[in-house]
Amino acid sequence: MKLHLRVWRQQSRQSEGSFVTYEADGLTPNMSFLEMLDVVNDRLTKEGQEPIAFEHDCREGICGSCAMAINGEPHGPNAGATTCQVYLRSFRDGQTLTVEPWRAKAFPVIKDLVADRSAFDRIIQSGGFVSVGTGQAPDANAIPIGKGIAEKAFDAAHCIGCGACVAACRNSSAMLFVAAKVSHLGLLPQGQTERKQRVQKMVAAMDAEGFGNCSNQYACEAVCPKEISVEMIARMNRDYAGAVVDQI
Amino acid sequence: MTLERLGFETLFSYRSGGILTVEALESILFLAPSLQTDDFLMNKEILRMIQSSIGRKWIVAVTGVLMIGFVVVHMTGNLQMFAGTPDKINGYAHLLKSYPLVLWSFRLGLLATAALHIWGTISLARENRIAKPVGYAVAGRKSRLQVTLTSVTMVISGIILLGFIIFHLLHFTAQVVDRSYASMETVVGGVTMPDVYRMVVTGFSKPWISLFYVVAMALLFSHLRHGAASVWQTFGLRDRNSAQFIEMGSWILATVLFLGFSSIPVAVLLGVLKL
Repeated sequence: MKLHLRVWRQQSRQSEGSFVTYEADGLTPNMSFLEMLDVVNDRLTKEGQEPIAFEHDCREGICGSCAMAINGEPHGPNAGATTCQVYLRSFRDGQTLTVEPWRAKAFPVIKDLVADRSAFDRIIQSGGFVSVGTGQAPDANAIPIGKGIAEKAFDAAHCIGCGACVAACRNSSAMLFVAAKVSHLGLLPQGQTERKQRVQKMVAAMDAEGFGNCSNQYACEAVCPKEISVEMIARMNRDYAGAVVDQI
Repeated sequence: MTLERLGFETLFSYRSGGILTVEALESILFLAPSLQTDDFLMNKEILRMIQSSIGRKWIVAVTGVLMIGFVVVHMTGNLQMFAGTPDKINGYAHLLKSYPLVLWSFRLGLLATAALHIWGTISLARENRIAKPVGYAVAGRKSRLQVTLTSVTMVISGIILLGFIIFHLLHFTAQVVDRSYASMETVVGGVTMPDVYRMVVTGFSKPWISLFYVVAMALLFSHLRHGAASVWQTFGLRDRNSAQFIEMGSWILATVLFLGFSSIPVAVLLGVLKL
């Protein structure tokens, strides 16, 4: 199997990037997209060229590292899958693929396909946690949580912070990410104490990072590899109004 | 909140070129004693929260709902053109104008509502543009699955609608588009009142005016198809189960308003409504 690649190459944050064309040959349909990039990089290294920089870690769809857009789609053409879970059988033999880093002001490109997503870390630091007493681990099931709530909180907790929501959004809004974190903790009893402060601080941090604003077109939901629902954004909007009312 | 703590110059400091800064809003609060509390810092926090991304989305949604309420009432009033007698709509228009205090409260309220709606959307849209400086070289299919033509054209449809509203006010309220309106009067039940029926039929007899009104109502349809569905999300009332009903409801609302408003110029052009 053979693919024509147009890959975004950019030396550093400051430099101008451009597309470079590569021919990927000797592929099999059962290779993952990242394995295909490994093959290309192997060849580039042997030829004395600089390999394509891209992020990857677990390669099993749970770490959220493999951030890149394939033909304008964050994480490629498949629904509910990260780039590492995209296999070459999803493409035609001889197809041309354009591979780009996430595009957003808040995610500046560091090198090639690698964008700086530390804005997400700073949003988490602002309130994406619960303050609990350390020490002995509490008994499992010491706090009873209803099945419905537990499921909903888990749906939100699926977020791996990959940034595809921001990448797909025409406004580069991070609301699905922030909403997933706010809802995940805000649904559970352990998160109630800081619930109002959390939504307030995380939204303030999100705004400060220069993400755009949701215009309810739900591209985020369509590309999310964990299929997190925009229902979470509605929850966050409601929680935020509650926090404002609380101030009065 | 005292004058000393606020500082006199605060009233004039519109920092960072924004249209409504925290300082400007504080000045407004300062002028409205009922909104003041002793806790200055607390107020400041509320103001910051109202001006956040979600705060401004709430402002746009609340003002949007108020304006939807207005257009629904406006359309219902307009449909009295079809009552069979001009007296019906003329009497209604006369009734509305017979309480100047109520009338002007409504007008100023609507003006403030529209101004907040426009301020909110402009500031949000400006940030959105800055947040996405570079797009993708290839347009993705998946990320556009739920994107509609009506949703990507909200700013354009809104701006044209604003232009239409200004024209509409100049046409029927200020009556400067056709100066003969001021002399159109009728007598209903012994009371002399403006002949609104005649103004409408005269105005819509000109095809370009009718066409402009129908096109504007098509844009209202487009604006509300996305807007009326979006408010549910902003208010936090949209979920997986209600989504399909919300989308359907916005289609129905937008269609009813389009047909209701457009029926009048169309009826005039077809000769159904005549003098």
